[in-house]
Amino acid sequence: MATRIQFENSSDIGVFSKLTNSYCLCAIQGSTNFYSAFESELGDVIPIVHTSIGGTRIIGRLTAGNRHGLLVPSTTTDQELQHLRNSLPDAVAIQRVEERLSALGNVIACNDYVALVHPDIDRETEEIIADVLKVEVFRQTIADNVLVGSYAVISNQGGVVHPKTSIQDQDELSSLLQVPLVAGTVNRGSDVLGAGLVVNDWCAFTGLDTTATEISVIEAAFKLQGQSSAAVIGEMRDSLIDSWA
Amino acid sequence: MSTSGLKAIAPVPKASDFLDIVLSKTQRKTPTVIHKNFKISRIRNFYMRKVKFTQDSFDEKLGAILEEFPIIDDLHPFLSSLLNVLYDKNHYKLALGQLRTARHLIDQVAKDYVRLLKFGDSLYRCKQLKRAALGRMATIMKRQNEALEFLEEVRKHMSRLPAIDPTARTLLICGYPNVGKSSFLNKVTRADVDVQPYAFTTKSLFVGHLDHRYMRWQVIDTPGILDHPLEEMNNIEMQSITALAHLKACVLYFMDLSEQCGYSVEAQCKLFNAIKPLFANKPTVLVLNKADVARLEDLEPERRAMVEEIINSEGVRHVQCSCYSDEGVMIVKTTACDALLEHRVDTKLKGNKVNAILNRLHVAQPKPRDEVVRTPCIPEAVKERKKYDKTDPERRKLERDVEAEEGGAGVYNINLRKNYLLADEEWKNDVIPEIMDGKNVADFIDPDILEKLDALEREEEKLEAEGFYESGSDMYDSDDERDAVAAKYALKKKIVSQGTKKAMKNRALLPRTAGLRTLSELTTDMTKAGLDPSRIQERAEILAKVAGAKRKRQREEDAEMDVDEDAEMGDEGEWMDVDGEETPKLKRAKDNSGAVITKNARHPRTNRQLAGMRDEAQASKAVKLRNLGQRERNMQARAGESDRAIKTKMPKHLFAGKRKMGKTDRR
Repeated sequence: MATRIQFENSSDIGVFSKLTNSYCLCAIQGSTNFYSAFESELGDVIPIVHTSIGGTRIIGRLTAGNRHGLLVPSTTTDQELQHLRNSLPDAVAIQRVEERLSALGNVIACNDYVALVHPDIDRETEEIIADVLKVEVFRQTIADNVLVGSYAVISNQGGVVHPKTSIQDQDELSSLLQVPLVAGTVNRGSDVLGAGLVVNDWCAFTGLDTTATEISVIEAAFKLQGQSSAAVIGEMRDSLIDSWA
Repeated sequence: MSTSGLKAIAPVPKASDFLDIVLSKTQRKTPTVIHKNFKISRIRNFYMRKVKFTQDSFDEKLGAILEEFPIIDDLHPFLSSLLNVLYDKNHYKLALGQLRTARHLIDQVAKDYVRLLKFGDSLYRCKQLKRAALGRMATIMKRQNEALEFLEEVRKHMSRLPAIDPTARTLLICGYPNVGKSSFLNKVTRADVDVQPYAFTTKSLFVGHLDHRYMRWQVIDTPGILDHPLEEMNNIEMQSITALAHLKACVLYFMDLSEQCGYSVEAQCKLFNAIKPLFANKPTVLVLNKADVARLEDLEPERRAMVEEIINSEGVRHVQCSCYSDEGVMIVKTTACDALLEHRVDTKLKGNKVNAILNRLHVAQPKPRDEVVRTPCIPEAVKERKKYDKTDPERRKLERDVEAEEGGAGVYNINLRKNYLLADEEWKNDVIPEIMDGKNVADFIDPDILEKLDALEREEEKLEAEGFYESGSDMYDSDDERDAVAAKYALKKKIVSQGTKKAMKNRALLPRTAGLRTLSELTTDMTKAGLDPSRIQERAEILAKVAGAKRKRQREEDAEMDVDEDAEMGDEGEWMDVDGEETPKLKRAKDNSGAVITKNARHPRTNRQLAGMRDEAQASKAVKLRNLGQRERNMQARAGESDRAIKTKMPKHLFAGKRKMGKTDRR
C-alpha cells in the first residue's frame, strides 16, 4: 500500500526519511506529523527513529541501509551514532563510513541482497558496504547518471528506475539486482525517485504530488497490492500510454 | 472565468459609468488650480494636460476591454463555434470593432484639440477648448452604450460556462429530450444536474467528472436534440451539435425504448442516422435507457429491427441500462471509457510520441545469474496488523495525538529517548556527558567494559580476602596524619620528577649505556667481516689512555678551586654571578635556571651593565630605575595611576546655563 505524505510542505520525502525492512529513520521536525504518518503504517512492526545526521535533516540522502545494517557518513556526530545505536535493534549493524562522497543515500541504492553504487566510490567503502549491509556490490550508472541512489529505488520485490533508462539498461540492471524493474516517475513527473519515494517490502510512501497513475505504477512495481509488476504492461498499459503520450 | 481556454474578464461598465469613471479620474489626477494672470504657456499646458490625460484614460480602459475579450477565431474550434452559437460571432465582432473605432476617434479628437489649444490666447478660450474636447469624447463614448452592454452580457454568460477542456478525455451524452441523459450524468458523476420530467430541462452544456482506470474523465451532458434540419435548430440544440462536431469524445447516444419521453423509437433511430456523420471517427455507444420499463428483447419485431440495424452498424456498441434501478449504469461507463481509451491509444500508437515512452511500458524481468534465493522479508507482524483507521476509537495512539494533548506543535517537545531499546528501562534517561576530563567519552566506549569491571572487582575481592591491604591500614592514628604523610610523599615525588624534567630539558630519558658500543664488540664484528681491526684498536687504546689522564687531572684541579670560589662568592654581592671574569670555572657550575654552564664558555671581559656609568651611585640608580621599569604587572587589577579616571562626571561649566544661538558647539 502506497501512502502519499509530505515533509513540511515538501514532497521530497525521500530526503527526510529512510525506510528499510527492519527500521525507519525520519528527520526531526517542528511537529510530529511526518513521524506519525510512518507510525500509523509501521508502528509496532519496526522501530521508527527520529534522528539527525551531522546536525542536518537530510538523513535520507546521507545514509544508506537495509535490513542488516545502516551506513552513516563521517559527518555523523558521536551523539547521533549513540542515539541510533540505542534506538535500533542489535541485529542492525551501524557503521560510520569515511567516504569522500558523503551523501551515501545518493550514491548507494540497495535492497537486502544487492547494492548498486556510484562508480567512483572508494574501494574500502565498497568493502564496508558488502560487509555491513551483507550485499553484493556493483558499480553502475542509471541512465548515465552516477547518482544511483537518487535515480533508483529498489526493494526485494521490485524496483523503479529513472524514466529515461533504456530498455536494454533496465534488463541489465534487473539481472544484476534479480528483481523486476520498471522505469517510472514520482511527484508529478519528477525523475529523482530517491527523493520522492521510500519503500520496503510491504509498504511505500511517496510525495504528496504523486499522481494516481504514478502510484499505480509504483504499487505494481513493488508488488504492494498483491499485483505483479507485469501489470504495467498488462491491464495498466492503455492508461499509461494515454496519460504519458 | 472557469472555462479553460478562456480567461477571466473584468466587468464592462455601462457608457454613463464609463464616462463618470474617466472624467472623475481626470479631475482627481490632474492639477485643478489655475489663474487667468498665469503665463499663457502655463495655462495652455494646464488644459492640454487635461485633454491628453482624458484621452489616455479612455484609451487604456477601451484597450483593456479589447485585450481581454477573446478573439473567437483564435480559440479551439469547439469554443469558437460554441461562442458563435451563444453570442453570434458577427454581433460580437461588431461590438468589439465599434469599441476599437471609438478608441481611434477619441485619439483623433484629442489630437485636434491639443493642436487647437496651442493657439488658445486666454484662459477662457483654453477652457472652452478643453470643454469641447471632453464633450466630444463623451459623445463618442455614449454612442457605444449598446456595444458595451452587449459585451457585459457576454462576459457574464461566459463566466458561467462550464469548464470544458476540449482536449481532455470526454464522454459526450446526447439524444432526444427526456431520454435520461442528465439522470445518467448524475449517476456517474457528482455534477448534480437538474432533472425534470419535461423536455429541455437542460438548456446548456453541463460537465461532470469521474475517475476510471487511474484517470480523470470529463462527462458532458448536452441539451436534447430534435430531428429537424440544422438550419431550423435553436440555440439550445446547436450547443449539442457544436459539442458533437468539435470534441474528440466518446459519444453516448441515449435512446428511450419505452417512449416515455414522448418520442417514438422510429424518431429516435432516425435522429441517430441524421446526426451519424457527426460520430465519424468517434467511438459510439448506443445506450438503451430505461431498461426497467422496456427492454430491447420486448420490442415489436419491426422496431427492434430498426434498433438492431443501428447496433450492427460499424463501430457502435450497445448497452442497456436503467438510471432508475441502477442496472447497467456502471457497464455503460466502463464500456464508454474503454472504447474511448482504446481509440485514443490507437491514435497515439500511430504517432511517434509513443516511442519516447516505450521504455516506461517495459517490465525488465531478471535473468537468474546464480542459485541464491532472494526472498522478500516481511515480518509476521505486518500480516496480523490491523490497518490504522482514524475513526476507530481503539486505534493506536500516535505521536501526533500525544502532541495534540500536550499543547500542539511548537509546544510539545518530543522525548527522543522514549523508544530506546536498552536492557534496562531505567537507563533510557541516563545523562552521559559528551566530554569528560578533556576526553570525548564516545572514544572510550568499550563493549566489554562491564566484563572488565567485573574482573577488576573479582581481583580486588581476592586481594582483600588474602589480606593484602591489612598491614598498611593501621599505621596511622588519624586521617590527618595519614594525609600529611601522603602529602609529604607526593611533594618529594614531585620535586624529584620536576628536577629530572628540568635537567633533561624535556629530553627523553635514556640510560647512559644505551646505544654505546664497546671496543671489543667492534673488533669482533670487524674480524667477522674479514677486516683487520688492529690499527683502530691501537688508536682507541691511546685515546682512552689520554682521556683517562685528562679526567684525573681535572678532578684534582676542581678540588682546589672549590675553596676559592666559595670565598669569593661571599664578597661579590649583587653582581656576583655575572662578575666572574677572573673566577675559574666550577665543576658542574649551574646558572639560575639550573642549567649547567659549559666549562670553556667565553665570558665578557667587562660587565656591560656598568658600561657608561660614572660611578657606583649612578649604577645603583640605574638599577633602581630598571627595577621600577621591570615591575611585575598589577595582577590583582587594582586601580592604578595609569587607569583612565574621570574625576567629575558632570562638570558644571558644561551643563549649567541657558543655550542661546551659536553656543552649543562651544560646549
